[in-house]
Amino acid sequence: MKNETVERKFLPEMPRKEIDELKNTVKTASQKIMADNIERMKKADPHRPEAMKYFDEMADLFGKRPKEIAAEKEKGKKVIGYFCLFAPTELILAADAIPVRVNSGWYDTSKLGDRVVPVEVCPVIRSTIGAKMIELSPFLEQSDALISVLTCDGMTKLSEILSDVKTIWGMNVPRIKDSTQSLRFWSDEVRHMKTQIEQFTGNKITRKKLKEAVEATHRATKAFRRLQDLRKGNPVIMGRDAMLVNQTFLWDDKQRWTEKTEALCDELDKRVQRKDWVCPPETPRVMVTGTPMFWPDNWKLPTLVEEGNPQGVIVADEQCSGERVLNDPVGVDEWSMDDMLNAISERYLMASTCPCFTSKDGNEDRINWLLNKVKEWKIQGVIYYVVRGCMLYAMEYTRVKKTLDKINVPVYYLDTEYTREDVGQMKTRVEAFLEMLNARIDM
Amino acid sequence: MSLEILGDVLRLTVLAGLGAAGVLAVLIWKRNLATRVTFLRFVIQLVAFAAIFYIFSYSALIPMLYELIVLFALTIFLGRFFCGWLCPLGLILDIETLARRALKIRHRILPDKLNIALHKGRYLIALVFLLTPVILWMLDPQEIMVSPLMAKLLAGHYRPYGILLDPMIPFIVPWSNTATLNVVGVNFSYPYAQNIITFTGTEIGVILAVAFVATTLVGGFLVRRVWCRFCPTGCSIASVNQFKRLGSVPLLHIDKDEEKCTKCGVCKRVCPLQVNEVYDQKGGKIKTSQCMLCARCVEMCPYEGTLKLKLGSKTVFKSRNWLKPSNIE
Amino acid sequence: MDLGTQRVQVVVLKDGAVVARAFAYSGFDPTKAAEQAVDEALRNGHLKLSDVNHFAATGSAMDMAPYANSKVSMMGADAKAGVFLVPKARTIIDVGAEEARAVKCDEKGIMVDFVVNERCAAGAGAFIEAMARALEVKLEEMGPLALKAERASPINASCVIFGESDVVSLIHRQESKPEIARAVFDAMADRVSAMVHRLGINPEVVLAGGVAKDPGFVASLNRKLGLNVIIPDNPEYIGALGAALIAATRVKGGA
Repeated sequence: MKNETVERKFLPEMPRKEIDELKNTVKTASQKIMADNIERMKKADPHRPEAMKYFDEMADLFGKRPKEIAAEKEKGKKVIGYFCLFAPTELILAADAIPVRVNSGWYDTSKLGDRVVPVEVCPVIRSTIGAKMIELSPFLEQSDALISVLTCDGMTKLSEILSDVKTIWGMNVPRIKDSTQSLRFWSDEVRHMKTQIEQFTGNKITRKKLKEAVEATHRATKAFRRLQDLRKGNPVIMGRDAMLVNQTFLWDDKQRWTEKTEALCDELDKRVQRKDWVCPPETPRVMVTGTPMFWPDNWKLPTLVEEGNPQGVIVADEQCSGERVLNDPVGVDEWSMDDMLNAISERYLMASTCPCFTSKDGNEDRINWLLNKVKEWKIQGVIYYVVRGCMLYAMEYTRVKKTLDKINVPVYYLDTEYTREDVGQMKTRVEAFLEMLNARIDM
Repeated sequence: MSLEILGDVLRLTVLAGLGAAGVLAVLIWKRNLATRVTFLRFVIQLVAFAAIFYIFSYSALIPMLYELIVLFALTIFLGRFFCGWLCPLGLILDIETLARRALKIRHRILPDKLNIALHKGRYLIALVFLLTPVILWMLDPQEIMVSPLMAKLLAGHYRPYGILLDPMIPFIVPWSNTATLNVVGVNFSYPYAQNIITFTGTEIGVILAVAFVATTLVGGFLVRRVWCRFCPTGCSIASVNQFKRLGSVPLLHIDKDEEKCTKCGVCKRVCPLQVNEVYDQKGGKIKTSQCMLCARCVEMCPYEGTLKLKLGSKTVFKSRNWLKPSNIE
Repeated sequence: MDLGTQRVQVVVLKDGAVVARAFAYSGFDPTKAAEQAVDEALRNGHLKLSDVNHFAATGSAMDMAPYANSKVSMMGADAKAGVFLVPKARTIIDVGAEEARAVKCDEKGIMVDFVVNERCAAGAGAFIEAMARALEVKLEEMGPLALKAERASPINASCVIFGESDVVSLIHRQESKPEIARAVFDAMADRVSAMVHRLGINPEVVLAGGVAKDPGFVASLNRKLGLNVIIPDNPEYIGALGAALIAATRVKGGA
């Protein structure tokens, strides 16, 4: 909520004219990019499933969904945005509020963010700040409150910066994941967040409503896992399509998303039966791991991989914008309020593979995830994707490389920025990597 | 005599048949994978309860010592399977848990340190249980006025073994001429209660026994399977599997696939005995003497094939994606 | 054909041996430059355009190559050519004008891993050019100059831009030109060797690319790596040679 009389700590005052101008420029450019991405995805798969049409529509961040949310807000519903996958969305759903992830995927706004923080800061953070400055993101604007989970340096300070203009609640994440004290601490944070949400929305989170929210998320998880399982065999869906579906969950209506994804999986099942592969089965199977890739501008890398010459196909990923979104269900034992809250705390803390934690076994959760994916999705190469400024992912590269070297899977460290200028250089590296994978396959 | 034996065998067969039918019914009817094993276990526990009741009450055929030998022999292959699936006291505690859940009262967990202390200290507790009646009897060998059946059960020279079989003492006993509680014509008994009364003198004994019953019942209501954490029977049969030479025998155990495990912690949270080893150990056969193989962790693990209940090298039951609707196995 | 940022190199391979080489400066029109270079190479080899069975293009501007039947990555080309020229080669370092690469390969010349210097010219030829300008020395003289020095001046070579101003202040401090030159090469070698270490060093190590002809750089690199790199003849043609070798395999077995 904007408060003109309170002095802003970080964000500069910008004249309304400038805000509107920039917003329109970036918005128009972004709409073009989104449309272009979708066009390319359509071209890549001549028999693209009908169900993808829904997701194409939902991909327009300025289109149908913000209008729906606006209509819901008229009816009195609150919108609670969040930045990190640690935010317990079940609590938000149980309080009859709308959860929506508001990380920014726009390259152009990161330059605006440079006015507030130095260029060495994580580009996702800079881009989010920029998006707020010109009021670009419909979801960010529509959020009545934001949950910021303090995982990395960027997130920590982002909550202070945005508190200039938004109600923002920080959730403390312990740095050591695997200890009783940490779990107790995080459980307290989750319970505190429950109270905050209840007070803010004015709706009590009852046992019944929470149970419904958890079960709705279970259904979504089921559909989500079904989609990922379909990528295990020969390619029936392009990586970009699946990634879009995965990401759409973050802002879409959960119920509807579940239905549409199930419909998509039904179509893909038929494709498997018809042996209608979207690209030759010998195409190198690539997994992307690392910093999240937010729609729309960050489709840079997947496009290069899947439209490159030689071509590759992305069949799995380990990113919090991709397969980490819904893979882990809340394991409720007794369906009492207490047990549900315990289950929620545990799921959000302990199942996480984020490198923001420190552990004696060196983020073994992430390593196990990668190893399991390599085995079951038959991954032939891994692209370790890092946006410059992310220390956490950058520092884990050595660990991942050693692990993958042991099982003889090539991994390539690809660092990039929120910019379109390095597409040329990226292309040569990606194509060289795919060429290498092809050579290995031939051998 | 032979007719009696025939009669007993027939009754046992009918019971076994009913039991098998019940198990089959559960397997077919209960599709929801997240609770299937729990239901199955409940059915088997009921069957076992009935069977043990029968053995104790009606059959003079099987002396206690043989029962004990069978129990220990079973443990070599099945580990603490008895505790999780056959023990009547376990059934009583599980029924209490069901009651608690119906009332939506949350369970209490024992702090890890206490749990571990009890776990380690139970050998001491078992020893105390085993030796006290011996010591008391040696100090003051008195004649115990009980029925011949009870005399054989409790006052015969099998007495220390009796302690080990105490959890199997039926809740409802058909005989009345012992210190059992008689309510509306039904005699109620309770594991260990009779022993306490017998060996500490009647008046103090009754008070102590009541206190014991109350504590375990109340404790069992709030803490899941509270007695099983330091039960002397449990610890003695668990010690059977500690012998290294039995290592090659196919054993029923929980097995973990380290790579598929995401350390989500659900197994640790849903375990009635608060066993940490399934979570802590890095893959392979889970080595713990605390686990009673109720397989709740395997049931609740949300990742396909991560936890498995195995007999030797054959998988009996593995964790499934319980969000997926199941096919009949 | 190797279409680089500064030059286009062309190698013609016939019956498994090099029969002609040519180059042209890329300028603003790499396609035209490539056509010129191909023309010249074919003339030198007494061949006609129609004699060529397969054209393969590599280099940063490979998409602009004329006549190309297929493409090869620069890393793949380096690996193939490296093993062709030096059969025991398992690590090939290619330092060009604006980019440095290192490729690990097996005995057949198939690349197994690669690493590239990321967006930094301080590990590439452009650095030497900038420093040569600052020292007012001809590019070819930098190498011999550096070899005269016993030690390297301390320079802050975090960036080419800063390096230039650094050189100016060093000259004011009366540091000798040889020592400054050596420092320039040492700084470059630092970058390149760090990159190679990330890949893992597998002997034998081949150094290629235009910069390989510079003795000053080679000496510094040998010092930093702790071994002697092997420099093939005509190192700047390694990309084109690799592309030609791969083109040959594609004719035999199809693309």
